[in-house]
Amino acid sequence: MLCAMRRVFVAVAIVAAVAVVMRAAMLEAKPTQVAQPTQPVTGARLRGPEAFAGIADPAERSRALFLEASRVLTHPRCINCHPAGDVPHQGMTLELHYPPVVRGPKDRGVVGVECAGCHQDRNLELARVPGAPSWHLAPIEMAWVGKSPRAICEQMQDPKRNGGKTLAQIVEHNAHDKLVAWGWEPGAGREPVPGTQEQFGRLVAAWVETGAKCPPEEARP
Amino acid sequence: MTIRLRVNGVDRTVDADPEMPLLWALRDILGLTGTKYGCGQALCGACSVHLDGQVVRACVTPVRRAAGGAVTTIEGLSPDGNHPLQRAWMELGVPQCGFCQAGQLMTAAALLKAKPRPTDDEIDQSLAANLCRCGTYPRIRAAVRKAAGLPEK
Amino acid sequence: MSERPVLITRRSFLIGLNLSAGGLALGIFPAWSRADEPSGKSGKAPTTADAAEEAKAPGLNPNPFVHVGFDGLVTIVCARSEMGQGVRSSLPVLIADELGATLARVKVVQADGDAKYGDQNTDGSSSVRNFFDDLRRAGATARQMLVAAAAQRWNVQPDTCVAHDHVVEHRPTKRTLAFGELSAAAAKLPIPAEKSVTLRPRAELHHLGKELPFIDAAAYVTGKAAYGADVRVPEMLIAVIARPPAVGGKVLHYDPAPALAVPGVKRVIALPAPKAPYAFQAWGGVAVLAENTWAAMRGRAALKITWDAGENGTYDSDAYRRELAASLQKGGTRARNLGDVDAALAKAARVIDAEYYVPHLPQMPMEPPVAMAHVRGDRCEIWASTQNPQEARSTAAKLLGVPEERVTIHVTFLGGGFGRKSKADFVSEAVLLSKEARVPVRVQWTREDDVRHAYYNAVSTQRLRAGLDGRGKVVAWLHRTAFPPIGSTFAKVKGPTAEDLQQGVLDLALDVPNVRAEACAATAHVRIGWYRSVYNIFHAFAISSFMDEIAHARGQDPRDVLYELIGPPRTVSLADLGIGKLPNYGAPLATHPVDAGRLHGVVQRVTELARWNDRKREGRALGLAAHRSFLSYAACVASVVRDPERTVRVDEAWLVLDAGTIVNLDRVRAQLQGAIAMGISNALFGGVTMKKGATQESNFRDARIAGIRDVPRKLHVEIISSDGPPCGVGEPGVPPVAPAIANAIFALTGQRIRELPLLRALRV
Ligand code: FES
Ligand code: FES
Repeated sequence: MLCAMRRVFVAVAIVAAVAVVMRAAMLEAKPTQVAQPTQPVTGARLRGPEAFAGIADPAERSRALFLEASRVLTHPRCINCHPAGDVPHQGMTLELHYPPVVRGPKDRGVVGVECAGCHQDRNLELARVPGAPSWHLAPIEMAWVGKSPRAICEQMQDPKRNGGKTLAQIVEHNAHDKLVAWGWEPGAGREPVPGTQEQFGRLVAAWVETGAKCPPEEARP
Repeated sequence: MTIRLRVNGVDRTVDADPEMPLLWALRDILGLTGTKYGCGQALCGACSVHLDGQVVRACVTPVRRAAGGAVTTIEGLSPDGNHPLQRAWMELGVPQCGFCQAGQLMTAAALLKAKPRPTDDEIDQSLAANLCRCGTYPRIRAAVRKAAGLPEK
Repeated sequence: MSERPVLITRRSFLIGLNLSAGGLALGIFPAWSRADEPSGKSGKAPTTADAAEEAKAPGLNPNPFVHVGFDGLVTIVCARSEMGQGVRSSLPVLIADELGATLARVKVVQADGDAKYGDQNTDGSSSVRNFFDDLRRAGATARQMLVAAAAQRWNVQPDTCVAHDHVVEHRPTKRTLAFGELSAAAAKLPIPAEKSVTLRPRAELHHLGKELPFIDAAAYVTGKAAYGADVRVPEMLIAVIARPPAVGGKVLHYDPAPALAVPGVKRVIALPAPKAPYAFQAWGGVAVLAENTWAAMRGRAALKITWDAGENGTYDSDAYRRELAASLQKGGTRARNLGDVDAALAKAARVIDAEYYVPHLPQMPMEPPVAMAHVRGDRCEIWASTQNPQEARSTAAKLLGVPEERVTIHVTFLGGGFGRKSKADFVSEAVLLSKEARVPVRVQWTREDDVRHAYYNAVSTQRLRAGLDGRGKVVAWLHRTAFPPIGSTFAKVKGPTAEDLQQGVLDLALDVPNVRAEACAATAHVRIGWYRSVYNIFHAFAISSFMDEIAHARGQDPRDVLYELIGPPRTVSLADLGIGKLPNYGAPLATHPVDAGRLHGVVQRVTELARWNDRKREGRALGLAAHRSFLSYAACVASVVRDPERTVRVDEAWLVLDAGTIVNLDRVRAQLQGAIAMGISNALFGGVTMKKGATQESNFRDARIAGIRDVPRKLHVEIISSDGPPCGVGEPGVPPVAPAIANAIFALTGQRIRELPLLRALRV
């Protein structure tokens, strides 16, 4: 399973590199590219909402905004802790977390191997252990691994699958949460998610303002 | 920086870099060498101690996090080496080189506190990150079960 | 309870004592204990009085191993290092049994490194097999003297007296005298000559082969056992060393300033670069000495160093693997030859051919290497978790240019050794640094240091070729093996010698008319060393995998083919093996022959236990392997199932050992359980890879070892009961495990994996 995953990602990394170059063209021409659903996106740049001002139709703009935001949401730094199973992932190829830990009843591990038993409130340089306040897994209903941007989009608006949040709370969470913030400051040797949290927060806010529309299933950033 | 903490029921102060891992504060400053260094990266569990009742890897826990808290190390697991787990460990001859065993015992003790009658899966899950190069795992399992009063397998 | 730091006081530190072992934890058989152990672990700080008392403890002292005090307390010295194999719970018992001592009144102390104890190198699964009679003789000598003293007192014939339960009894009158009452008189008697000392009949060795008290259990479970890193002396500094990535590399330039800026860092010292052969020299690099370990680690991280990669700076595992394969192609020195393999292969109806690869394996003992040295003038005192204190002692003496007597070396508990700690390189580092810094220096290896700068097990590529006749019978067997041998660490060598092939190639019983084995050239680019069961790991992997391949090629039960290949139960002579001589792990062939019957026996027993005949069961598959090493015979059956998380997993394993006479049954069982875990580590995850001379792996995340979930819940070990001469027990369990797993994976998935680690190559 791991090996299979690794192969997919090598392929996808190439696709993603090409995708960065072709992004503008694709947005206009309606995305038709079919890719693996857990596609990671590389590249440090994230475009703010301004870049989408030219799309006249608010619904269309909303979809484009979400797709841009999904470059963050589907990044391994984010989805590693939104696993679809009991075990978190790590690294750029979604390896299973080592040491072997499990989600536990409250998404914070089980006795003896709780998340906070190792992860501190900040990254540790020498020990290479990543950290941020309240380190834990997203609940299983918020699983993102293997999901398309559209699926994540729908999930984020569904109070049953977003921790009972309103859209305003979603914006706030994405813009200011300290654990979310870790994605941009993951510590030495780890690739950060694209852009800044501030930019990302504005993208999500603009998406909500434009009606929180979801991109088509096959759309990829 | 001076940090106050309770270690094995005794109030102690540690004058150290607040980022110094608890492991080195215990070993190098307080002289409690029962807690071991095996990897320094939260990968082996040799340094497991309890901080306010929760298992933490002392090698990655900055000592500042323990300020005002209560730390229990293997030296304080029981006053006389008679914790049910220590007894079971001796009766079943669990240790080989012994180096990982303080960590194994501290993790197992937290497990039994939370789950007095753990299932086999729960034992394996809680101890999954406590490595033993000597391979004492079969006896660790048996000794946890024995200490929990579960029937022999 | 005590919260006192374990601090060895200056005075006791100055007295180089044999009996107190410099204040380290002493083992006492559980029922008996003393309030004021000089270890300081009893809760009382060690005092010089304790130490001095120990030093002049009067009593009977017939040899370095036994001491009987006036109070009857028997002190037995354990001269071998305790690294988890239970040697301290085993060797002393032999002495106590011969003596007739009650274990509850026996104290075990750890010997310093000193030639008077004979060979102390705790390696090669040799402690019991080499010392069995010698240690018994040490106990018997003391017994004979106590008996003589009692006979004198009673004015009776010594042969009417017997020693048992800590007393000497005059049989006819049932009078008794306690050991304590006799020790003063006995001490005045002449020490009997070795020839006049008689050993007890086996039946009188009451503890032999039983589940003995586990002497150090309490120290282990309370955190009181003192390992290398637990030794503390006043004014000590801790050193952490930045070493060049490849051995032989050099420091081109470094700036100590950022390290010195770290609070707590006291000194930054560059170490000399070693010259090939590297032996036990320090690896070189730049050491950061600090008041505490954390400061030393931070200081090291702050160092900016430019390295010269050195002569091994291009070593690359992929390229080297191709080099080894080319060496096999060329062929090598004949180490074993019977009949005419080439002719038989040419005539064979069918030829089976396979190549196997096993990477460098690091030992990774749970406790990384640690040594402390204090050099003062022309004296040096060392504490180290060493498997080989005498070697460490002479290495230190040579480094300092002083006679060995000036160097005292105390052996601490070892947090695992597995061969790593028989090398004195880390002791060399401590000695060099203490000499320079003029304070006691404890060198702490980090796990990264341990993974990157080990003395790895040799990397190997092997080619096996079998010629089958028209009925499928194997008529030719060709085994070529290429690996850089341990000898390369100590001298310039081009490859393994014929003798290096004793580990599993020369001593393989084969009922095949034409057999040839060749040692093929391979140059080392890292330090090669011993690792639990050594070359047997890869030789067993190749041979047992290949036998399984032959069986499947013939469509037959692998066990039947194994029986057929090793042939009927018999002692196999050198001529039958096709060799001129066999090092045989230092043991005479007369007492420890190559015995196909014993190999057959362990296979038979392990397959019985595993119910081999009904092995075809949905969802799991069994694999079988057997191997002779360290004079013992071991066979393993592994059961493998698919696992959603880890592709495949070992869900049950059986291991049977025939090691002749067993001293401590429970500790040997523990060794076998451990051997399965280590075998699983080797098989599924093992190995490090080099690029540009540098080890790519660094810690347990990428140099993985088996965790509790990787070791089956159903795990069965059995020891064949035997009163034959004792053989090795620490290592022989390891070799058959990996091939048994590989064979099971084949049976489960149809994939023949010819390299370790298996999980890397497995396709799902
Ligand atoms: S030393 Fe802390 S987990 Fe290994
Ligand atoms: S007993 Fe040696 S590492 Fe666990």
